[in-house]
Amino acid sequence: MTLGVFVRKNRPRWQRLETMLGTIETRGPRRTDRSFLQELSALYRATTADLAFAQTHYRSTTLLLFLHQLVARAHNQIYRPHRFSFSMASRFFRNEIPRAARAHLAAITWSAIIFLLGTALGLSAVQFDERAASIILPTNVLDSIYSRHMWTGGIFSVVPAPVTSTFLFTSNISVALLAFAGGLSFGIVTSWILFQNGFMLGVVFKLCADYGLLGSLLEFIAGHGLLEISAIIVSGGAGYAVANALLNPGSYSRSDALAQQGRSAVRMAVACVPALVTAGCIEAFISPTAFPVWFKVALGLTLGGVFWLYLLFTGKSAPKVMPG
Amino acid sequence: MNALSSAWETRKTELELPEEIDLQLEVANVGSRTLAILIDLALCGMVLFVVYSFTLLLARDTAGDLLTRFSGHVMTTLLLLLVFGFQWGYFNLFEWLWNGQTPGKRLLHLRVIKADGTPVSWIDVLLRNLSRPIDTFGPMGLIGLLMIFINSKAQRLGDLMARTLVIHETEIDWSIFDEIKSPETSGHGVVSHAPSIHLTSAQWELLHRYLNRRDRLQPDVRQRLARSLRENLKPLVKGTDLELTVLSPEDWLVELARRT
Repeated sequence: MTLGVFVRKNRPRWQRLETMLGTIETRGPRRTDRSFLQELSALYRATTADLAFAQTHYRSTTLLLFLHQLVARAHNQIYRPHRFSFSMASRFFRNEIPRAARAHLAAITWSAIIFLLGTALGLSAVQFDERAASIILPTNVLDSIYSRHMWTGGIFSVVPAPVTSTFLFTSNISVALLAFAGGLSFGIVTSWILFQNGFMLGVVFKLCADYGLLGSLLEFIAGHGLLEISAIIVSGGAGYAVANALLNPGSYSRSDALAQQGRSAVRMAVACVPALVTAGCIEAFISPTAFPVWFKVALGLTLGGVFWLYLLFTGKSAPKVMPG
Repeated sequence: MNALSSAWETRKTELELPEEIDLQLEVANVGSRTLAILIDLALCGMVLFVVYSFTLLLARDTAGDLLTRFSGHVMTTLLLLLVFGFQWGYFNLFEWLWNGQTPGKRLLHLRVIKADGTPVSWIDVLLRNLSRPIDTFGPMGLIGLLMIFINSKAQRLGDLMARTLVIHETEIDWSIFDEIKSPETSGHGVVSHAPSIHLTSAQWELLHRYLNRRDRLQPDVRQRLARSLRENLKPLVKGTDLELTVLSPEDWLVELARRT
């Protein structure tokens, strides 16, 4: 069969498939009826056969390019992954996130160790030389501590809580997601973020203690601190899980290990998003206000406890084979 | 050197379909991928600029009435959310909802697919886009560029982690296969039931492509192409009456198309 005859004979079918693909691509498969889908799959199979024929008989032609493209588009529609559904989302949060966290406990532990190392160094740095605080703290915070006032009072009275909470949770989520992505830098960026945040905590603690503000500081962070720090540590653990895949791929190739570990680690990073939104809101709406101390402490402990209980003890345990 | 030069050539994927077909798709090159990113960033930048300008106007007026102050705060919150959303949400949301495309990618006919040829799911999209601070944005972009150059399927780190690749979609134009509307050739004294001439598939395609596109060409280009095509196809008509006719190059090509 010459190319001309082949095109003349089958072109209506290809163009019909192309039109149908246009429809399903814009409308989605849900809003097409059964006969439409049946026709689509029949046309798809016929066109793959045409492609196979063209591959044998019409090498290096434009027609072949077109058919490859057409079959790829149809393949894309027919082997489409499951669309987003609430049952899928609920399974994701109920089972998959805790399972991923439990699979990477070692990475989370390392993340906590690096964070605490940063805190210890922050404490001892200020102990050694008070000026070390100026490395990491902005001047307005320093001035406020030196004059024995909490800096939080000033900030939160000027800017209303909704704005502050948005600022807090967007910047904290950015830090957490960066800690996850930092795994791709063999963990260097992840370590830097964990260390920096730990260091800042250590510096603030020591400095406040020196200026008699320890009580006010503890009261301020009681409500959100535990949850916020936990989330950063878990996302750091996600980063280390990725870094570990790159550094110790084991019996897999590096790229296979990366794909496999990344897939479960990203679930831990996702878990941090709602946690940090919650922490940011508490930090802006509750922490700087005159709520009773016992309430802030109870809230902080509850939220932190729930976060860890959720990650470590809920959800079904992993089946033998992880579903793709 | 080898890797560098091959980055500018067309790279093909070989995907095996369940239908036992080797699907070949063109992997998007560095240039178009960079351009697509720049388009997306420009789009985000423009939106941010507009919102930022309004926020500045409103926030400047701190002594203003309650409504101005209130709307200033609303705009500030919106700006914070927008910056965050563009940084982490833009690529994720578009690639998820538009099946592997962002506005920039759509403009340049690029699409993200799984390395096995199937469409991307939301977790793939998340994996490849959360990694952008490490291999796309700012100076880190150099890492991504290097990866796209070196990797045989032009995958950056995020693509490797998500097992995705970016392909360039060929635009399908069936009109190059249209039947040729031949004018009445009997006037030229050509026998209408002439023996048919054998062209290879590629030659046939070339001939039809020219004839179907010629109306959209500049007159001088149209003539030049017709002449060069005739020169190339002339050896095929040896021994037939077409070898000696006095037809213009274009009519000659039409007549040739009629006999294949």
